[in-house]
Amino acid sequence: MKKFLPLLFILPMLYAVATAQKLETPKERAARILSKIDDMWRGKSSRGLMAMKVKTQNYTRELELRIWSQGKEKSLVIIESPLREKNTATLKSGPNIYSYLPKTDRTIRLTSGMMVGNWMGSHFTNDDLVKESRMSDDYNAIITFEGNQKGNEVIEFTLFPKPNAAVVWGKIIITVKSDGFIPIHSKYYDEDMALSRTMAFSNIKSIGGRMIPATLRVIPKEKTNEFTELTYKEMEFDIDLPSGFFSIARLRRR
Amino acid sequence: MALAGSIMIFYGSLMEGFMKVLERNMIQMSLGDIQIHSPGYQNDPDLYKRIEGVSSILAELEQKGFYATPRLFAFGLAASGPASAGVNIRGIDINREAKVTTAYKHVLKGQWLSIKDPKGVVIGRKLARRLGIDLDSEIVIVSQATDGSMANDLYSVKGILKSVGSEIDSVGLFMEIGEFQELMVIESGAHEIAVSNPNNKIPLASATKVVAELVPSYETKNWRELKPLIAQILDTSDAANIIMMTIVYSAVAMVILNATLMSIFERIPEFGVMKALGFSPMQIATMIYTEASLQAMLACSLAIGIGIPPSYYFQNNGLDLSNIGSDSTISVAGVAFDPLWFPILTTSTILTPIIALFIITALAVIYPGIKAALIRPVEAIHHQ
Repeated sequence: MKKFLPLLFILPMLYAVATAQKLETPKERAARILSKIDDMWRGKSSRGLMAMKVKTQNYTRELELRIWSQGKEKSLVIIESPLREKNTATLKSGPNIYSYLPKTDRTIRLTSGMMVGNWMGSHFTNDDLVKESRMSDDYNAIITFEGNQKGNEVIEFTLFPKPNAAVVWGKIIITVKSDGFIPIHSKYYDEDMALSRTMAFSNIKSIGGRMIPATLRVIPKEKTNEFTELTYKEMEFDIDLPSGFFSIARLRRR
Repeated sequence: MALAGSIMIFYGSLMEGFMKVLERNMIQMSLGDIQIHSPGYQNDPDLYKRIEGVSSILAELEQKGFYATPRLFAFGLAASGPASAGVNIRGIDINREAKVTTAYKHVLKGQWLSIKDPKGVVIGRKLARRLGIDLDSEIVIVSQATDGSMANDLYSVKGILKSVGSEIDSVGLFMEIGEFQELMVIESGAHEIAVSNPNNKIPLASATKVVAELVPSYETKNWRELKPLIAQILDTSDAANIIMMTIVYSAVAMVILNATLMSIFERIPEFGVMKALGFSPMQIATMIYTEASLQAMLACSLAIGIGIPPSYYFQNNGLDLSNIGSDSTISVAGVAFDPLWFPILTTSTILTPIIALFIITALAVIYPGIKAALIRPVEAIHHQ
């Protein structure tokens, strides 16, 4: 009887461990990791300071931007520098984008025809701002590689859009570090499965209490000597923002 | 015969007026005789594909006896109140443009651009309607400048154009070229140099060659190459008139043939007597032709009397077609027409139908003439 006493303690413990750690399928694991990546730069709300550098064959632009966001639907970006463009603002509210132009003191709503135009002269389109999707919600993901790549332990995901997802990409391949799931690079393919653009993530540091890549560089496929680089300088997450903050009236108030 | 002749005089005048307006609207109002572009610009109108060294090119063209003007283009958004519309912003050199095109004469309301008022713009009439604006309305123009920044500024509508071309009517917005350069952050260059050849003695093809040799690294095309469809319409307009005339006069020829044959059948006994008295077949035929000629002369006089007055009246007052086109404008191959159609009476539009009437009469009377000439006297006298 005494021999079986330890089993009386061990068996329940084993049972508790087994039921507590539910077995996860690869699909569920992929969705969980992607959700963490989706939330890396997001919160209920956020506020930050960002630098954007754009290099094209025709011009080079460097801007300092102050940004606010609330969920997926609302965001406000105001140019702090250069002086010539100071206080130019972009407000996203649901499916609409408004631009405030301080020179003329006018606010215009971007028409549907302008959505394919580039945002602030960058390689992002106005449409990119509106159609901000969550990878975990809009794509089915499979893990296509897990192991060592260029000295880093990485996980590579291949994402295909879900049938009714309102997204523009036919496929995304995203590679993240196994430790912490910090993105390293991602490739975006159009509906014909042709590579459209590449995004590289670097400069990992603590910002707003999170370890995130502070620098994102977008390279268009057909113009490899061009890029748009975003660098987060400051970020605060889950802050209180007054109601009515993301309004057209707010655009003109300083 | 008279009715057909008068219709053809009026129709010929209408077509002459139409072709003249087509050519005038297209060339003189906006296109110019010849245009110069950076290679590939026409297929891909990129803001950055510009002709450089514009001043020296203009000087060389003027030395050769041409008038030339630089132009800059950009796409943007024009907004006024809640309304907005895409626009084709056109920066023009006011003084030079006036020597190359006559757009400045075609202001429906208000006035043309002025160097003294760089913030004044002129827009197409359909664009004005879409934005719901009139003279002195304020509009904001937004675009992307060459440095990637958002180009934007406030302007005042100083003029609204008459119909010039479907594109200009719907999205055209003209401003002074210096203002355009400031708005779009462009230091130098032109997207287009429009050239006109004031010397009508030099054929278009030769003038084009001369211009092309001055700017070998750029693309040079004349209006016929830029608008081949319209060139074809103009080239075939005479042929189209002839085809129309052939169709109408064929019907007239049938009527003449029938009437002449009937008159011959009714006079067979008389022709028999004439033949018996010694008239030769040639004399009979000549008589038939003389009768037909007299009829044709009378018909031509009536055709002139009926056809010229309405042509002259509408030449001065215009034929109102405003109920036909939508938005009271008519467009052919992208060239806009005023709803008032002015025929043009010329020597050709009058004489061509008249001469054709004589010719068709002569052809129609061949068979009746031969029939009358070959009548046998004995059978003819007894014909009932």
